[in-house]
Amino acid sequence: MGFWDYVGSYRERLLFDAYQHASAVLQCVVVATVAGVAIGVLTYRREWAAGLATATTSAVLTVPSLAMIGLLIPVVGLGVAPTVIALTLYGLLPVVRNAIVGLRGVDPALVDAAKGIGMSRARRLLRVELPLAWPPILTGVRVATQMLMGIAAIAAYASGPGLGNEIFRGIASLGSANALNQVLAGTLGIVVLALLFDAGYVLLGRLTIPRGIRG
Amino acid sequence: MSAPPGTAPGADATSAAPGTPVAPASPYPSGSPDGSPGAAPAPYEARPLRITWRKLTLLPSLLVVVLVSTWLWFRHAELDAISANALANGQVWLALRQHIALTAVSTFFVLVIAVPLGVLLTRRRFRAATPFVRAVANAGQATPAIGLLALLVIWLGIGRTAALTGMIAYAVLPVLSNTMAGLRANEPTLLEAARGIGMSPAEVLTRVELPLAVPLILAGVRTALVLNVGTATLAAFGGGGGLGVLITTGITNQRVPVLVLGSILTVALALLVDWLASLAEVLLRPRGLEEGP
Repeated sequence: MGFWDYVGSYRERLLFDAYQHASAVLQCVVVATVAGVAIGVLTYRREWAAGLATATTSAVLTVPSLAMIGLLIPVVGLGVAPTVIALTLYGLLPVVRNAIVGLRGVDPALVDAAKGIGMSRARRLLRVELPLAWPPILTGVRVATQMLMGIAAIAAYASGPGLGNEIFRGIASLGSANALNQVLAGTLGIVVLALLFDAGYVLLGRLTIPRGIRG
Repeated sequence: MSAPPGTAPGADATSAAPGTPVAPASPYPSGSPDGSPGAAPAPYEARPLRITWRKLTLLPSLLVVVLVSTWLWFRHAELDAISANALANGQVWLALRQHIALTAVSTFFVLVIAVPLGVLLTRRRFRAATPFVRAVANAGQATPAIGLLALLVIWLGIGRTAALTGMIAYAVLPVLSNTMAGLRANEPTLLEAARGIGMSPAEVLTRVELPLAVPLILAGVRTALVLNVGTATLAAFGGGGGLGVLITTGITNQRVPVLVLGSILTVALALLVDWLASLAEVLLRPRGLEEGP
């Protein structure tokens, strides 16, 4: 069976896996972004706290994903839980680091001006600092998404959702007629998803980066 | 896998390597925690320590605590036949040795391929190839490591060769883009000056360009090492051995002790390798590039 025949005859299963893959990654990225920006906002003004946040999240990133999943299984069991926890943890680092770098990069004179016209701390953060720090944060979210695409594939080994299942089906049936088709379908599917997400971020950047600071 | 650090598609000067910001910022961090104090050292004064005690002792002591407690737990753990079988006859040592060998060999080849290629691609003659290389690099970043590995296993057969090829292919890109970014970031006036005092192109490369790019190349090496420790766990899926064998055995047979032992050893190895690489990064940086006045 050729590759396209295979894709045709298993279209529904592949689409379902692709949908689950995209949805798992998207949800974890959203959680990681919210949590990461929150961590960034809480820590960027104190040197030691920012250092601690960056060091901790980068230590997490050093841990191989299969080992991370292996350590989560005894605690939360197989399936969706270890996948979601691992993906969210891995997604944090790029967001936290870029949030801190971005927030620190805001021109103090602008913050001062905002204070001068009577903005409260919360309003300064929401109306001035975060919009100006948004482009690097968005870069971090993009990096995180690309990374999570690959890690999600590995999580399928712990019965997680997504296109990784297709790859592992192929590995499990090495030598059979469809092994190559299965691995290829899973891998190419993830590449396509990653490229689609990337295009989505370009669009999101167009829509959300304030007009005044667009390069 | 994609283990950890991938490279930022938009900002290849600053890969997501532990220790460098994932941001389109300057490649040289403005405040290194172990940098020397601002004043220029007097000629006979003791040179400032490049590595602080905390950096030197914190992680190793943490690892010792974790490993000793794991060992104590295992001495008293009740292992059933399947677990005992999976761990008997020095299989744990074998897996650990295989893992280290996979990481070392793949990192060696990654450097041998990526650094010269980076030098070549930044020469004027090959500058036209840059967009092509960037496109390949971006597509490569999007490819999941496990898929790449599985394809290679189908193509090359089960065993070490497929695993190593996959690991090398996967880590070449970040190191390549770091090398190229490092060479490009060099001050053009310095190269001009080097040419001006009569250096040949080869001399300019070996005596000016490469030494100046050392910090970024070292950051790339660290990225490669950490990536490879992670990707080596996936070698188990292609019969390449390594600590991934313990993890996958633990998962498929539902034996928590095997799973936890494999995971803890992998994590400890990854943190240790990253720590060693971070020391190397500090120690091998040319003195002249340290932050001065």
